[in-house]
Amino acid sequence: MDAQRRDCLLRAMLKELVGKGYGDASAEAAREAAGVSAAEFEAEFSGKDDCLFVAYDRITENVVRRASAECDQAEPWPERVRLGLERLLWAVAEHPEMAQALTRSFPGIRPAAYERYVALLSRFVPFMREGREYSGVEEELPGEVELLAVGAAEAIIFSEVDAGRAERLPQMLPEILFSVLVPFMGPDRAADEMRSAAISS
Amino acid sequence: MSVLGLLTTGSDVLTVSDRDRILQAMADCCARSGYPETTVKDVLERAGVERESFTIHFSGKEDCALAALNKMVSESLARLSMASSKSEEALERRKFEGQAFLELLASRPSFANLAFIESRQCGSKRMHDAYESAARVLALMMERLGADGSGPSADSRAALGAAEAVIRRELATGRAARLPELLPDFVYAVLVPFVGQREALRQARLAARMAAEEE
Repeated sequence: MDAQRRDCLLRAMLKELVGKGYGDASAEAAREAAGVSAAEFEAEFSGKDDCLFVAYDRITENVVRRASAECDQAEPWPERVRLGLERLLWAVAEHPEMAQALTRSFPGIRPAAYERYVALLSRFVPFMREGREYSGVEEELPGEVELLAVGAAEAIIFSEVDAGRAERLPQMLPEILFSVLVPFMGPDRAADEMRSAAISS
Repeated sequence: MSVLGLLTTGSDVLTVSDRDRILQAMADCCARSGYPETTVKDVLERAGVERESFTIHFSGKEDCALAALNKMVSESLARLSMASSKSEEALERRKFEGQAFLELLASRPSFANLAFIESRQCGSKRMHDAYESAARVLALMMERLGADGSGPSADSRAALGAAEAVIRRELATGRAARLPELLPDFVYAVLVPFVGQREALRQARLAARMAAEEE
């Protein structure tokens, strides 16, 4: 199976999950949508579950890579967070069905799937570490401050995606950025960054 | 034991006990397999009760899971209310409330999982609505800390989300018992947007002392 059809199959599998729920999601329907034969499918996946888990890992890998590519640029830390967050919010807004699959449908399958979601959130933690140094109160910040920042953004993104308002997310960049920065910088400095983000966007 | 037997003997204690066993079993089964894969049969086997007893109390699986969720929400609000009465001072109260809440989650990991993970993810609209209602109550409690008494709702939802991320990670990785140790992080998360970083850090230090004294 070539890379393009494989990618198409993985996306079709997650769309099946969102559209029909786990019980009715069909690997056969996903195969047909992607133009993949039964033999090709069986050569790579042991079944529906295997395909779903591979799809989740693959798509989330892309999401993290795209968001972090912006974070690697040589800008001050809050600006890199803004750029990464902006990229992430646009990706979610442009692919609301995939966002629903990644945040709600797949993690809800069973505990092992939810653990993948927890692992996905943890992958954003390293990008927050520099915020500790940037804060000026590095030693005093709580041990989990990076995950607190990630969780703040996740709460807003999850509820917009879940309510079918994913397209609104890019316009919400200033307030989401504020929520991510406030654990590191406090509300006054985070509000300054929020205002700058509002002007930039 | 027949339904009629239960009703005619007037053994209310027994029926209440059956209901609680079923709710605990529902929470345990969801923690082990997830709500979608949990069946009423699984719950009955785990609870060690007859189907007749289940149907006295619940109309089906969703009704039972919702009752288990509501039990956790009610107990949480009762604990928060009791903890809140320990101090007249708002920030002091927040520490007592956080401590009581985290200790409750640590002592009821299956119910905590149902409240924080399954209800949000499982696909049941009623469960999700119940989760959203409980989250709104907690967010409103936090907004009262805003300088003008009416902090913006996006801030309080995000602050709650920050604390929830840590709670969910501990629950999903089987470390619920560790939650009370995270009181300083919890206190900091729910205070910092409203009282400023310096005060939130001070309260987190006090919370760390409080957590250490509890150990």
